[in-house]
Amino acid sequence: MLREAIARQRWWILAALLGLAVLACVPFVLMPFHVRVGQLILLSTALGLAWTLLGGFAGYWSFGHTAFIGLGAFAAGLFETQMLGTPFMRAQPLVGLGLGLVVGMGACAVVAGAVAWPILRLRGIYFAVAMLGVAQVLSELTNSIDAFKGSMGLVFPRIPAFGLRQEAVFYYLLLIATAVILAIAFAVKNARIGHGLAAMREDEDTARMLGVPTERYKITMFVLSATLTGALGVIYAHSLGYITTGSVYRTDFSLNMIVYNLLGGMGTLIGPMIGSVIMVVLTQVILGGFLNLHMFLTGAMLVALVLAAPRGIVGTWLAFRRRRRDAAA
Amino acid sequence: MLALQTILDGLVLGGLYALAAVGFSLIFGVLGVVNLSHGAIVLIGAYFTWFAWHVTGMDPLLCIPPVMLVLFGLGYIYQRGLIQLAVDRSSLLASMLVTFGVALMLRNALVLAFSPDFKSISPGWAFSFLRLGPLTIDLVRISALAASLALLGALAYVLNRTSIGRVIRATAQQELAARLCGVNARHVYAVTFGVSAAFAGASGAILGIVLPFSPPDEANWTLNAFVVVVLGGVGSPSGALLGGLLLGLISTATSQLIGPAFPNVMMFLILVLMLMVRPAGLLGNAFAGTR
Repeated sequence: MLREAIARQRWWILAALLGLAVLACVPFVLMPFHVRVGQLILLSTALGLAWTLLGGFAGYWSFGHTAFIGLGAFAAGLFETQMLGTPFMRAQPLVGLGLGLVVGMGACAVVAGAVAWPILRLRGIYFAVAMLGVAQVLSELTNSIDAFKGSMGLVFPRIPAFGLRQEAVFYYLLLIATAVILAIAFAVKNARIGHGLAAMREDEDTARMLGVPTERYKITMFVLSATLTGALGVIYAHSLGYITTGSVYRTDFSLNMIVYNLLGGMGTLIGPMIGSVIMVVLTQVILGGFLNLHMFLTGAMLVALVLAAPRGIVGTWLAFRRRRRDAAA
Repeated sequence: MLALQTILDGLVLGGLYALAAVGFSLIFGVLGVVNLSHGAIVLIGAYFTWFAWHVTGMDPLLCIPPVMLVLFGLGYIYQRGLIQLAVDRSSLLASMLVTFGVALMLRNALVLAFSPDFKSISPGWAFSFLRLGPLTIDLVRISALAASLALLGALAYVLNRTSIGRVIRATAQQELAARLCGVNARHVYAVTFGVSAAFAGASGAILGIVLPFSPPDEANWTLNAFVVVVLGGVGSPSGALLGGLLLGLISTATSQLIGPAFPNVMMFLILVLMLMVRPAGLLGNAFAGTR
């Protein structure tokens, strides 16, 4: 199934590779500030894609995915600062980062695996709210238990690599992460499991009756999505340099992951990419000048977005094209 | 004695939680919409009351009827003009995003209008208290609890004994059947939302005399409402009362016995566990909520 999909969509894949090559040149051309904006766009795109593995493909909207950003960041941070120690991190920053990634992703996989079975029995709004609760519990625990250093904060060492500037290092790390997550999402969507998930999204009970192993599929996707989100949390925490509970357990992360998908088009791959670019450019660059109205404008945009393009940009475009084809025929 | 005092404090706080959550519960039960702007509506009630008290010196408890009236109207318009539109054009889950967007807008508007500082309402009788043997309870808290219970009772009466209450319950159970009987479902939904906003506003007025408040608190009040509803059960005043009182007891007991930093952890832990064990709540009466 996957091989046919690759053959069928070879032009899209070629375009994606070309896009990657162009994006890889960006840090050499643009100013550091713009590279930082690029970082943010890549992070948002990757988060949107990681969320869509469960939310877009299976229709399980998580309203608390920031739980895994925070969990990954703090697991990696505690491991790097407490177990490896600063001298090791200074001497071998890339090895430290790699080990931190493994630990952060491992922690997310373990926690997601533990809560997956009970929490995925809930559907719709109940699942969404339970995830919101999970995020709150993790964030409050990180904040109130001193051993986790949530209120004191954790300091990450700089990652000097290949003589690149700091923002370029994280730009490339996030670019690689985005590419990997995109490839995983493409594989999942076009493999057997992807079709099973699409069937579940439309009607879970029917899919189950027809022999789709719904339980196994959704647990797999939940753990996969959590683990990838955790990896992004680790990279994000390093790019900040210093984190507290509030800087990684952020409700706006959770909501933005949904907004990117909703704006672009739910259940597609290009959707979260378009959505994140538009949202980041709009909120960070254009609205950056209205600091005291920022929240108001973001909220107004959210409302306008749901009302104006409920099926997202991709969905609206497809509907437009279908209508035009029908009119021609 | 400490235990008794804890229970008493918990009950007072619980009455307030119950009143603040009952509207949220009603919307969730009848419309199936999760109103993330509920906390902001609670705070609007608090700020209206603060403004009236601050400018005219009006007694905050007397402000409750006008606040409820104004918020009923605003709630009606909000549902009919915005939320219904989002539900029609997209889905219930997407309407949750709309209410979140509105919550952001309201919070920002409150900051601009009233500054981000904490406000509190302290009427002339704020510092008198009663002694019941070794227990002390101040008049503010007694009146808050009494007002909460009275309003919850009134809502229960309206829902169970009046014709509009019957229509609301019928629409919640089966919209199509209600419409076939000549019910204007959209009007009923908007009225339900208005009632919910009115009770949120009333709870805001009472909240203002018990606790200090500031615009970012709206998120806490929304989340509290959530926990209350999940604990007690969706769509009924008795469920909200039970959930509210339990939440009040849990949070005072947790800060007394485990530590002042832990009520929130406990609250959300219970939320998640309840969702897993019995998502319909203790007195579950979920009409649209579970569909």
